Amino acid sequence: MKRTDFDIIVIGGGHAGIEASLASARLGIKTLLITLSIDSIGRMSCNPAIGGLAKGHLVTEIDSLGGEMAKATDATGIQFKMLNMSKGRSVWSPRAQADKIKYSLYMQGVLQSQDNLSILEDCATGILVDNNTLIGVLSESHGEISCKKAILTCGTFLNGLIHIGLDHFPGGRIGERPASGLTESLVRAGIISGRLKTGTTPRIRKDSIDFSKTIVQYGDEKPFPFSFLTENFSPPNIPCYITNTNPHTHEILRGGLDRSPLYAGIIKSIGPRYCPSIEDKIVRFHERASHQIFLEPEWTNADEYYVNGFATSLPIDIQLKSLHTIPGLENAVIVRPGYAIEYDFFPSYQLNSCLETKKISGLYLSGQINGTSGYEEAAALGLVAGINAALSLKKESPLVLGRDESYIGVLVDDLITKSPEEPYRMFTSSAEHRLLLRFDNSDIRLAEKGYKTGLTPPTIYKNATEKNRILTESLRYLKTHSLSLDHTNQILSRIQRAPASGSFTLFKLLCRPEIHYQHIEPYLPQDISSAIRSFRDLGDQIEVESKYEGYIKRNRILVDSFKSHEGIRIPLDFNYRNISSLTIEAREKLTKFRPETLGQASRIPGVSPSDVTSLLILLRK
Amino acid sequence: MPRKAKTTIVALSTPPGFGAISIIRLSGQKSLEIAGKLTRPPTPPTPNVVQFARIWKEERFIDEIMLTYFKSPRSYTGEDMIEFSCHGSPYVIESIIDLCLQCGAVMAKPGEFTRRAFFNGKIDLLRAESVADLIYSNTQSAHRESSRQLLGEGGAYFRHLKQRIIQIISMLELELDFSDQDISFMSHGQVEHEIRSIQQDIRILMKTFSYGKMVRAGLYVPIVGPPNSGKSSLFNALLQEERVIVSPIPGTTRDTIEESIQKDGYQFRLVDTAGLRDTNEILESAGISRSRKTIQLADLLLFVVDARSHLADFYDILPTKTDEVIIVINKSDIADYKTTLNLQNELSEYKTIVVSAKKRIGIHELSTIMVNYVKGKQPSEEYFVLTQKRHFLELKKMSGFLKHAESSLKHLTTAEMIVIDLRLALSCLDEILGKTVNDDILNNIFNKFCIGK
Repeated sequence: MKRTDFDIIVIGGGHAGIEASLASARLGIKTLLITLSIDSIGRMSCNPAIGGLAKGHLVTEIDSLGGEMAKATDATGIQFKMLNMSKGRSVWSPRAQADKIKYSLYMQGVLQSQDNLSILEDCATGILVDNNTLIGVLSESHGEISCKKAILTCGTFLNGLIHIGLDHFPGGRIGERPASGLTESLVRAGIISGRLKTGTTPRIRKDSIDFSKTIVQYGDEKPFPFSFLTENFSPPNIPCYITNTNPHTHEILRGGLDRSPLYAGIIKSIGPRYCPSIEDKIVRFHERASHQIFLEPEWTNADEYYVNGFATSLPIDIQLKSLHTIPGLENAVIVRPGYAIEYDFFPSYQLNSCLETKKISGLYLSGQINGTSGYEEAAALGLVAGINAALSLKKESPLVLGRDESYIGVLVDDLITKSPEEPYRMFTSSAEHRLLLRFDNSDIRLAEKGYKTGLTPPTIYKNATEKNRILTESLRYLKTHSLSLDHTNQILSRIQRAPASGSFTLFKLLCRPEIHYQHIEPYLPQDISSAIRSFRDLGDQIEVESKYEGYIKRNRILVDSFKSHEGIRIPLDFNYRNISSLTIEAREKLTKFRPETLGQASRIPGVSPSDVTSLLILLRK
Repeated sequence: MPRKAKTTIVALSTPPGFGAISIIRLSGQKSLEIAGKLTRPPTPPTPNVVQFARIWKEERFIDEIMLTYFKSPRSYTGEDMIEFSCHGSPYVIESIIDLCLQCGAVMAKPGEFTRRAFFNGKIDLLRAESVADLIYSNTQSAHRESSRQLLGEGGAYFRHLKQRIIQIISMLELELDFSDQDISFMSHGQVEHEIRSIQQDIRILMKTFSYGKMVRAGLYVPIVGPPNSGKSSLFNALLQEERVIVSPIPGTTRDTIEESIQKDGYQFRLVDTAGLRDTNEILESAGISRSRKTIQLADLLLFVVDARSHLADFYDILPTKTDEVIIVINKSDIADYKTTLNLQNELSEYKTIVVSAKKRIGIHELSTIMVNYVKGKQPSEEYFVLTQKRHFLELKKMSGFLKHAESSLKHLTTAEMIVIDLRLALSCLDEILGKTVNDDILNNIFNKFCIGK
């Protein structure tokens, strides 16, 4: 292939790389995606599922910004379920089980038919830098390819090392070669790297499972789609199956610990705390007699099942023996063993809020190499990097998302201010503005910004604007209109509550825990109630905003005091070392992280409020 | 404030006026340099060693001093510090400070040394506050409470409370973020129970404030009563009997006749309302007068009556709250025994004592009753005593948030809303501990100091 100029090169065709390259190409930038294998684009290394607690939020936000993951999931998912439905609506999270093969093919199709996007099957072995500016990428078979910006989205492939028991061998994913050279090239350019580990579960043959010993679990009957563009949503509803480990299982696992790469000290890198391997679980939670296992089909009519909850890197014989003690899996046949993988990553304090490295201009790092875990986190980061690299080339202002408007904002900000040393995943509790960030209002929050960048489809933007208008006007109506005493008591008697003595505004009524939207709907004027009906569940959303309003106000008290600090910028070359009013730890951390704003500075661990005050005073001068 | 990192401050750290020794403190980058310029021959100081030096102003000898150098960060403020111990002559003091100013130091503002200590992370906010208290503590009891705070006991107590709330928040967050895994969570009943337990502890702590307030500032004890009952005589008698102390708390209004006495480690601020110009207003039932306010602010009232009078004579001005009053039946030396006994019986609902201020009879017993009153309010030793109003108010706010959380739990509101109230409760504790910094709060605290601290 001729050495052509590309504006942006994306290295790695995983979830981050897909979003980055699509965003860039769709914004009119000449983009090249380099991947080790075109067939492996969009592959899910671990759980055949998209979404889940907090992760589902990320997917709907990706959709509102014009990303692809939500649409792909809606098109190829085999089971959809809303989690946390017994709790408040702000923590409802959609989750889908995926057909891995269809998902991957869908993404390949989208990429291959995308204008401005070329795909190259090759191995990127280095970056080319001149005077701390990125000027190109070095590839194994095609030599130097010049570009203006490069986005690395290499996932677990950089010097990937797979561990099964005491065996280990290089690999980016099982059956796939790792990538070498890139890390070393970045390190030579002055970027710091580290090492992380993650793991996955064994896959077993469907016909070796005795389903009669398991409990079947279906998805929701009328599920919510992920994408705001999806209409007439009636996906398949393929069940998964639940079983449990038992003390006998644990005994066998324990017996194999001396041949576990982690416990034998061969793996020293840190794994995800929240996604422990089964051996981690029996060691850490040794009082528990059993752990839950979900058996999930990897694709429609799959003959391979994923054993959710059983991530492991123990030797294959131990994996087999322990599986055989689990009800339903007495005769299980392992198609692919569970394994642990170690890989290079780049601590994220080195990045700014566009995910560009502070050291090398034009070099962006996103996805699992930032130290995150999860497809959704990777996709969100890929999208942010892709959009910002493109906007930067177009000389437009960057897309920076606040912590109060999106989980993506929380994700990026947490990465650059906390720079986790162990794999980071999204939690609702990470968002101090959790009540504002629901899965159903991602479009209201983000569509406008996304539309301005040029990526969000006009339909999403239009619908979001309309939805917001109806929402705002309905709330205003509710606050300014009271129900007659008769009508109020009608409602109260219907829900078997004592009659009221005075009349309330509709809003006040709706704030009561026992009163729901459908109770007051009959009393609303026709034009309002029909407008609300034009969007799915908008009535419920109005109810939630009413009930939450008091809490949202209280939450604002908590966070507003530091809001002003977001706007105070800190010069990049600010010298912290000479400021004796800062503690030594603060000086070190601030010099290392180089926060862009005072708000960011305040979130860095080790920087105390008194340090922030000192900075505030110095910056004001 | 902007001068903070750059300037070197100087101030007199001991009370002004003639004294044997005075201490002048320097803090900042130029401290060492200035000390070198002042002393002749220049004595390069060794850290933490008291050294002899002589100070000269041009050709004039000023003083022989002892000099101590504290090298950053091992000093009170965390910066380089120099302490000059000089002879306590106002001229000497002024000359030394002048020389420092000429060499580039600036006058310290009130509390600036302690402020720098706080900003340099040498002490937390609670300790900073307690330094002020320790300086002003003039009784054993006040000293005991402020030293507990200085020693970090207060901080430890609040941090422990904080941990308990963080525990609950974590449990609730766990429930929200891990509901897809088979982990057991804290039940809402358990959460409610724990919140109620924390509420109880806060309530006990808040109760200690009335005692703590009295201990820290001394009990405010106005002497009131109908005219000619001998209020001034009693006032003087108490002053003669017990040790008078001078209360240096700045900002005390001195438009009353007030003197402080100390007994058994407690301070009592006696107010002679007979000395007030508008004494007669005490007898009026309407209108807001200074004396009325005095009575309202009282921690303990001494209501003085003539032993020869009857209840009916002063019934309309008798305070209604029986436990905060001691009725002093005065002039026992000239009253009829039976009449006195009668009067005492009429006032059986109150604590009464029969004295003769003129003849100094019963005065000692009266002051003992006063001490017992305070002692009666003392919480048991194990409880940390709240002495700062700021802390009391924050705890009150916190209690409100916890109450809201409790009621949310009852209404089955889901966890993400309950967490907000708990976080707000947590922020109150952060305010107390000085973890969240509010410029106003800081200014309030440090302005209480006087210059040189």
